[in-house]
Amino acid sequence: MSATVVAASGGEPVGTEPRAPASKRDLWIVFWIFPTFFGLFGVIFVLLARVIPPPRPDVTTDQKVQWFASHATTIQIGFAAVCVVFGGAAIANGYVAYQMKRMTSGPTFAYAYMGAMAVGTLPGLLLVALCFSAATFRPDREPRISAMLYDLGMLSFNGSLGCFATGYLAFAIAILYDKNQIFPKWLAYVSIWQIVTEVIATQMWVSSAGPYAWNGSIAFWLAVIVFGFWLNCQGIFLKFATDRQPAGSRPAD
Amino acid sequence: MQILAEAEELPKTTNIRTQLVALWIAAVSALILLIAYLAFPGFWPPMSPRLTAEDVAGFYRNHTAWIRFSMVTFNLCGIMLLPLFCVVVVQMKRMATQSQVFAYCYLSAVVSGATLFALADIFFAVAAFRPGRDPDLVMLLNDLGWMVFIAPVGMIVAQNLMLALAVYHDNGPTPVFPRWVGHLSLLTMFAMLPSACAMVMTGGPLAWDGAISFWLRNGAFATFVIVMFFAVRGAVRRQAREEGIAR
Amino acid sequence: MTNTEPTALTAEQTDHADRRQRGTHLPGDGHMWLMVLGDLIIFGGYFIVYMVQRAMAPAAYLQAQQHLSITIGVLNTVVLVTSSWFVAQAVRAAADADYERAVRLIYGGGACGVLFIGVKAYEWTMKITQGYTNSNEFFMFYYMLTGVHMFHVALGVLILGIVVRELRNPRRRRPSMVEQGATYWHMVDLLWLVIFGLLYVMR
Repeated sequence: MSATVVAASGGEPVGTEPRAPASKRDLWIVFWIFPTFFGLFGVIFVLLARVIPPPRPDVTTDQKVQWFASHATTIQIGFAAVCVVFGGAAIANGYVAYQMKRMTSGPTFAYAYMGAMAVGTLPGLLLVALCFSAATFRPDREPRISAMLYDLGMLSFNGSLGCFATGYLAFAIAILYDKNQIFPKWLAYVSIWQIVTEVIATQMWVSSAGPYAWNGSIAFWLAVIVFGFWLNCQGIFLKFATDRQPAGSRPAD
Repeated sequence: MQILAEAEELPKTTNIRTQLVALWIAAVSALILLIAYLAFPGFWPPMSPRLTAEDVAGFYRNHTAWIRFSMVTFNLCGIMLLPLFCVVVVQMKRMATQSQVFAYCYLSAVVSGATLFALADIFFAVAAFRPGRDPDLVMLLNDLGWMVFIAPVGMIVAQNLMLALAVYHDNGPTPVFPRWVGHLSLLTMFAMLPSACAMVMTGGPLAWDGAISFWLRNGAFATFVIVMFFAVRGAVRRQAREEGIAR
Repeated sequence: MTNTEPTALTAEQTDHADRRQRGTHLPGDGHMWLMVLGDLIIFGGYFIVYMVQRAMAPAAYLQAQQHLSITIGVLNTVVLVTSSWFVAQAVRAAADADYERAVRLIYGGGACGVLFIGVKAYEWTMKITQGYTNSNEFFMFYYMLTGVHMFHVALGVLILGIVVRELRNPRRRRPSMVEQGATYWHMVDLLWLVIFGLLYVMR
């Protein structure tokens, strides 16, 4: 079924034929980096960096300094590890963009997804690593500076919304128009839900306490639950797509 | 490489030409970046994380002109290395025995990594903008600049890994790159990997001024870029010969 | 554009009519039901958080609620329920293969949807110019819940538009399409009833 579907859409090799027995090993290597990276991400950000779940916004400067001091070791180890492994995000997102190129909906939104996610890594992941590392690097820094790094780190991590909303929009539209069924239609609806949670999360820039703060039940917890569900679905269907891809085929250029 | 007379006006020749132009843009940019690198007083010797805030503020006050020159040059020309990596993507997509998946992941990593490089010089340049700023703020900017410049090697790790895997999977009769390109990519990756510790260390070889995090890391990356220029140029020439455009 | 005489029933339409008679028919589409259930669960989460927050500060919420106009709320409710009635009638018309009537009814439903959005926009403008913005926790919920709901209504109008486009094409008209659109639209209506109850009525 999959071979005829892909062939009908024109996804078969354009011009070049594979000259060795076709193998999907390259696809599988890249696929397995996806769950490996997100697993590491979870361990690092939850257990080491202590950024998920987030520390509270409604605390005093001294309490922020105290928080850094008591978690300094794991924060430093965690973010040094992030500096090594965060390239996995590019590989994971690059692989999703690659599968999106196999859709009949054309390459436009595959490129949009790749662009949006590639850009989002800096404000949405690296900045918190930088800020928290800078804060724990010099424990004797002026308290008001450490407190600012606390806010800057948390708000950039949880409040980087537009890059990812753009990526999710590209993902949703590409799925809705795709006749190759690389991903199921309902994943597009969940992606739209992701965008809605991002828009709701904008209120964390306004509230320092309550359900809309960066650690709030709505701006954080509900959003993280939807994100976790979405990410797992994306990963599972990425595996199905890899299974079904004919060996030796490549997306239209 | 001589482009054949009969191939001069063919459409596919322009693809070869633009790749060569991209390589030369990257080469010229690399040269300019080398000059900027030599001009930044903070690299000769590399500034220690153990300097006091007063020392750091003094440094920015005393070398303002050279700092501004070098950082503005980095700002302007740093991302002009991108065309080199884009030619690599084009060549990766030509590899016959695979699905091009590595090329897409490589491009993602290159773009993400470039955003980091674009950020580093901004911190140093802002520190030099108001020499009279409070020393603890100047020190913060200096810390952030060094950390962003040295430590986040993850994207380079990802892109070199993808390139190495692509080269190793390129098993047809006409491989795009010689196998040693894969070895070099991995070697560079391992040489740069330990610099992540610069986020944490205040002294020793792994600190941002240390033998491993600074000298080895930057030396390895510079060597890699220079060697890749020639390797990629070779690949483009092979492509031209295969497509009947050149002798 | 639209045929002036009834077209012969397609195989799918006959099958659809059979299944309805036998009572084994799940209206709409699995994907749509999945979406509706997910939507209801997530909104349910928001409603629970709202009620918990309200229970923690009943006086403040009560005071803020006074500034909402129940009249506008009721007006919006009537508009949306009417639109649901139109859409339900359209489902019946499609099942009877009277596609012209179905299209007219869907236009009616869509028009009510647009009217709903207009009234809501007017209400928001009034509230903002009166100074009730997201600096107050109740109003943050108000804007968030009605805002997300409004987004759903807009999406619903888009979906109804797609249904009309499909119905216009004699080769693509199917009762199941109308049912999908109706499922979504009724969900939007249901959500509004809960929001109306929580924000306007529960005092």
